[in-house]
Order: sequence, then C-alpha cells, then structure tokens
Amino acid sequence: MIRALALSLSVLALAVQAAPEQIAPANCVVAEQGWAEAALQRSLSAPLGLPPVPHPADNPPTRAKIELGRKLFFDRRLSINKTMSCAMCHVPEQGFANWELATAVGVEGRSVNRNAPTLINVGYLSPLFHDGRDVALETQFVSPMTARNEMANPSIGHVVALLGRLPDYRDLFADAFGAGPSLDRIGQALGAYQRTLVAGDSPFDRWYFGGDEAALGADAQQGFALFTGKAGCAGCHTLGDRDALFTDQLFHDTGYGRLRAAQRDNPPETVPVQVAPGVVHNLDFARVLSVSARRDPDLGRYAVTEDPADRWTFRTPGLRNLAVTPPYMHDGGFSTLAQVIDFYDRGGRPHPAQDPAIRPLGLDAGEKRALEAFLLSLTSDGLGCLVGAARTQPPDNH
Amino acid sequence: MNRREFGTLTAAALAVGGPFKAFADETCQSPYMPKITGQEEFVYVWTLGVEGMGDEQDKLVTIDLRPGSDTRGQVINSLSVGGRNEAHHGGFSADRRYFWTGGLDTNRIFIFDVHSDPANPTLHKTIDTFVKDSGGVVGPHTFFALPGSMMISGLSNDADHGGRTALVEYNDSGDYVATYWMPTQDDMQGAAAIGDAVADGYGYDIRALIRKNVMLTSSFTGWSNYMMDFGQMLQDTEAMKRFGNTVVQWDLHTRQPKKVFNVPGAPLEIRFPWGPNANWAYTTTALTSQLWLIYEDEDGEWQAKAVADIGDPASIPLPVDISIAADDQTLWINSFMDGKTRLFDISDPHNPHQIYEKVIDRQVNMVSQSWDGKRVYFSSSLLANWDKKGADDVQYLRAYNWDGTELVEDFNIDFYALNLGRAHIMRFGSAALYTS
Repeated sequence: MIRALALSLSVLALAVQAAPEQIAPANCVVAEQGWAEAALQRSLSAPLGLPPVPHPADNPPTRAKIELGRKLFFDRRLSINKTMSCAMCHVPEQGFANWELATAVGVEGRSVNRNAPTLINVGYLSPLFHDGRDVALETQFVSPMTARNEMANPSIGHVVALLGRLPDYRDLFADAFGAGPSLDRIGQALGAYQRTLVAGDSPFDRWYFGGDEAALGADAQQGFALFTGKAGCAGCHTLGDRDALFTDQLFHDTGYGRLRAAQRDNPPETVPVQVAPGVVHNLDFARVLSVSARRDPDLGRYAVTEDPADRWTFRTPGLRNLAVTPPYMHDGGFSTLAQVIDFYDRGGRPHPAQDPAIRPLGLDAGEKRALEAFLLSLTSDGLGCLVGAARTQPPDNH
Repeated sequence: MNRREFGTLTAAALAVGGPFKAFADETCQSPYMPKITGQEEFVYVWTLGVEGMGDEQDKLVTIDLRPGSDTRGQVINSLSVGGRNEAHHGGFSADRRYFWTGGLDTNRIFIFDVHSDPANPTLHKTIDTFVKDSGGVVGPHTFFALPGSMMISGLSNDADHGGRTALVEYNDSGDYVATYWMPTQDDMQGAAAIGDAVADGYGYDIRALIRKNVMLTSSFTGWSNYMMDFGQMLQDTEAMKRFGNTVVQWDLHTRQPKKVFNVPGAPLEIRFPWGPNANWAYTTTALTSQLWLIYEDEDGEWQAKAVADIGDPASIPLPVDISIAADDQTLWINSFMDGKTRLFDISDPHNPHQIYEKVIDRQVNMVSQSWDGKRVYFSSSLLANWDKKGADDVQYLRAYNWDGTELVEDFNIDFYALNLGRAHIMRFGSAALYTS
C-alpha cells in the first residue's frame, strides 16, 4: 500500500543540513609560478595543523610528476568506454568527494557499495580505502581502474598500452621520468599529484595549534572539550600536540556496518522518496524492489582479511573538511553531521562485537550542537586553491 | 484546430498523394521535417544492447509495417553499432534523410542513412567527439531538427556528471556549431526566473513553436542518476535531490533563454499542438506525476501551470512518453511503473481529463502514433538500469489499432526472445518520402 506524505519545505529544512556550496576555484599561484610549482611547494610544506606530507623515498615529488599525475587523474579516456576518470567520483568542487550520491556509480552505471571518500589530505593515509585494501597511492589506482563497477578496464596492462599510444602523454612521461608509460610510473605520478591535495589551517588549527584565541567560537571550543572528553571521539579520531589527522588509521566496529546489514535484511514497508523540493511520498518497498538490482552485503575489512573478527569493521576516517564532504559514513547513509552525532550518541547499534568505545553518550541538544560546531570548524582555508589547480585545464575526453 | 478542420487537412494531403510534406506528424517531431500522413512503412527502434544477450551491442532495429508485406510485423533489419552506449532518443534531420541517435553514456552520436534504402538503414557517420566539441556536455538526448542543423539537448557534464548541461548545435554534415548552456541561478544569461523558479541548469527535451519564435526545454537529471540502478537511486536521499524542476523558454532564433518556469518533479517530454492558433505546449513531470500546460496568456506572456494529475501521484506512476494527436484533441500519456497508457481529452487544454486507460504490460515507456491516430505503437525500455528487474523486465514493440474507444493489439515483437535487447525510441520511415 502506498502512503503519501507531503512535507512542507520548512519541515525538510529543519531535518536536513543545508547543502554545501560548490568550492569555487581560486588562483593561488604567485607570479612566475605555474600551478604545478605551487602544488609541489604545497606538498613539501606542513600546513598549520598537519605534519609534513610523507613522500615515499622512491617517489620524491617533482613538478613534472605532478603535472602528469593531474592529467591522468582527470582523463576520462582511461576507462573502458571513455566515460570515467578518477575525478568523476572525486569531484574537486565537491571536496574531491561526491555530494550527489550516497554510493558511487561506475562504468555503465554499475553500483559501488561505498561512498567516494575525500582525497583532501589522502597523502597522510595508510592504509587506503574504507577497508584498507591497499597501502600506498603508488599502487592504489590499479583497483578502481580495473574494477568492473568502477572504470572497468580489462587489465591494467591495457591502460599502460593505451597511454603509450596517446601522443599527448609522450612528452609528459618523458619530462617526469625520462621514459614512457609503465605501471610504476603511472602510480608514482598519480601519487605525486594526490599528495598535493593538502589542506590544514582551519579555524580549529589556528586556535589549537596557532594560539589564536579568537579563531574559534565558544560553541566550537565547548564541542572540542566534548570531543576529547565526555563524547570520547578523540579515542579513534586522534590528535597530537603539534598536528592532527583525526584518525588512528585503524579499523573499528562502530555498529554502523551491522545496522546497515540489518536494514538490508529487514527492509521497511515503505521508503520515503523526495519527488520534488518539499514533496515526499512514502513508496511501497515492493515497488522499489521491482526496479532494484541485487546489492551485495558489505562486510568491510573482512573482505580483505577474511578474519571473522573484522566483519563490519571500517577504517576510521579523518574529520577535516567534513563541511564540504557529505554525505557521511562508508556508504553515505547519513546526510548530515547531526545524524552522525545522533548515531554515536545512541551508542551505535549495540552488539557484543561492537567497539567498547562506542557507548551511549547522553549528550543534550546543546552539546550536540557544540560538537557539530567543532566539526565544522575543521574546514580549511585554501580549498579553493586545490580546486583552482585542478581546473586550469578541462578534462580529457575523446 | 478541431476535428473537422483536421479532417479537411488530411483529405487534402491524401488527394495530392504520398506523404504530406508539411506541418504534421506521427505526431511529435520537429515541424521543419516532412511527415508521413499516410501509412508508415517501417518503424526504426533504437535498441539497447544487453550483456549476455545476442551480440550485446546497441542496434537500430527495423520493423516492417507495410500492409500486405510477407514480413509485416517482423524485424527485417538489425544494425549493431558497437558497445553499449545507453541508446536513448533520436530524431530525423530536417530533410528526413538521416536519423540521428544518441548514447547517453558514451556520448556517441550515430547518424543513420534512412533514405537510400528505408528498409535497410546504414550507418552514415559516427560522432564520437561530442563532449570535447561541446566543451564538456554529456548525454546527447533530444535531436530536434532545425533547417540545416540539429539542436541536441544534453543531460549532464564532464566535470561532475551532475545535471548542469547545455544545448549543442551541429550542422547537417555533423560538424559542431555552438553550445548554449542552460541558465543557472548564478548565471541567468538574461533570463528571468518566474515566480519561485530556481534555474537549475538541467536539460532534457526540446520543442519549438516556430511562428511564435518560442523554444522550450525541460529538465531531468545528470549522468550519475540516469545511469544508476533505479531502486538504489530511490533510496539515495542525496541522489533524489538532483532532479530538474524547470522549463525554460528560449528565443528560438537567437538561442537566448528568456524565462525559467518552476515545474517541479522532472518535466520530461514537451509537445506542441499543430493548430494554427494553438499557442501552448504540454509537458509531464516524471516524479510528481502531473500534466503541465505551458501557454501564452492574453497579454502575450508565456506562463506555466499544472492542469491535471496523472494516476495517483503518491504512488509515483512515473509518466514518461507522451504523444499528442495531430488534431490536438487527445494526448496519450504512458506511465512506466504501472505499465499503463492513458488517453486524455485535451480539447480544452486548460482542463484536460482522462477518458481511457489500458495496461500495456508490466512496464511501458515510449508511445508513437500514426498521423491519423488509428495506429499506436508502444515500446518498453526506459533506461538500462531503470528498467524493471526479473520477470517484470519485458522488452517489446507492440502495435495497436485505436478505434476511438479501445486499443486492440495488432502485433507484438518480443525483443528479448529475439536476442535484440531493450526497445527504446521508435521513429517511422517510408520510402514514399523520397519519391518525387
């Protein structure tokens, strides 16, 4: 049975965090510098609140590698049917993530189980992916380029051969490596570019690490106290004396993975569907099923280790720039930070294997707002520079 | 135009013999092109290839409609183009010698020669530089013939695969001419937002009323949504926020947007009537299931208003293709989810009302009718990943006779049984168009 429910726009507005603004590209290049030189210097620096970017000993960054890496990152020709690039899921104006989808969509519309994570500050992360299935940017790219539901290339050798045939890459590879395309060189170039996507210097950083008392409002300061105190968030979203990545880079069962599995196994009778701004219908789930392909369960880290203890565990994400990277959680199931905070305030979805750090928090409404204010204070200045550097050339197409 | 005027016009057309080469259709195409006012001889079906079925490729399927032919009601030609491109819509050039079709995924445009041998179309040219030519437009959708050129609406873009897009014009030789980006809230390009309209920059269909110099465009959604699994999308609250809610009025000749109307819920197909004094058009909203009238008021200003519900909007029947009769008196409206076609009496365009309905099958998408309205054809596929799953995923072209009160099935072609794929847009052909 179909039940209609029309909600007023004002009601929706109360329930849904305002959509972020597209990050406008900024020209942050000083005179005589090209974007790549500026990006190189950025990747060699340690912005306020962040440690120096860790570059592998065998892949020191150069301007030529960064230029090549950016071209590879945006090149739609590098998928089986020339429609997908790295940037189609990691959209610069959307925080190098994708606001418009909870879970990503690949070649021919094939479904990906996971939300496309932001690549801002990805150079600090290891392992990579929500399930940690790779450890370095130099090798990570092979997975999306060959995954059937992402870029769907028949083999990574196919990509290497393609790049060898494209004349616009000849000089770029020669400049960067003195040699033509190879698996290692593609990875090194992509790694070098992605390590330029660095952003610290948020209001929190200026307050906490910079000593600027005026940089952070009282509500955000209260939120930080909760973050490190009563709410216990900092146990996993760690920070140090001189810098903070806000992740322990470990895997935890927060209850969320099991919650989503339970919802999958026990679907509701109806699903709210927004058909226009302010108009929502509750649609019979059987009707939704009639147009739904089967979706595989997501067991998280278990897919990598096959250790039952790793079922439904996921890597702790960093928290910087959350304001520009909704939706949240590994499958984008929460649209707003308020929903995330509510989930953790409830203590996750309690079960024996859940991480003991996840427990009911007893936050009141004011504390939740303060916590959200703190999280929003982690938005970096200079994001426009990353977007501006990304968009000095249009994406490559046919 | 009333039915008496329409009958006189039709009789005059038949008296001169052959197809009537002006101002009419089977029934919803560019008014610049010659029309088949007699018997359509072929129907071309732009068909999506399916993995694991036949040659898995998109193809143009030709079906024989010639009365008395031994192969009437059968597939007589299938021309594969390579790859699965998300075959979708297509349109003839203004001289009706070429059939342009698009792939919403790969952005390839296939131009078929349908005049040299209308029973056996050939692939004349492939444009695979649409995105680069246009400066980043993705998803070539409607092909609307203008004199000497083809206006193509995009659905998306190569920056984020969202809904911001443009119109793209090519000349009849297939050479790029220009890109006209849809107005957005941040860049209205001189257009005015009417009422509470918010220019979203989205695109879908194109139609024009030449004598009023009015072109209208509608708005759907970007690549990420139209390519993804439909059921997944319905449950994705972020994705469901990304649908168009506007119709844009353009100056046809200058290609300048003039007005942006608020038409919430993904307005899709646009249809102008044929009457010499009929200054209005219809569109239907897929998600909100309403029939909208875009019309010129007594002061000469164009307006938009909802004039009818289509089925029960709360059940999201998803109205898709529509077809206006050549006498402007009736309108077929298909709805995908319930597999129904509905006939509306539109003799008063401000007060349309449903007069008939029939379930075609478990899903239905496109509808095309002959010039005299006596033959009505239906096809099944909406989008590769939006079509129903399992046993409900029936794929067909089905022909009916309409006697004014009932649709009576003539023949049915099962596209899956023939290993062809998903049947999408239908366009009619006739050798008589190319005789002197």
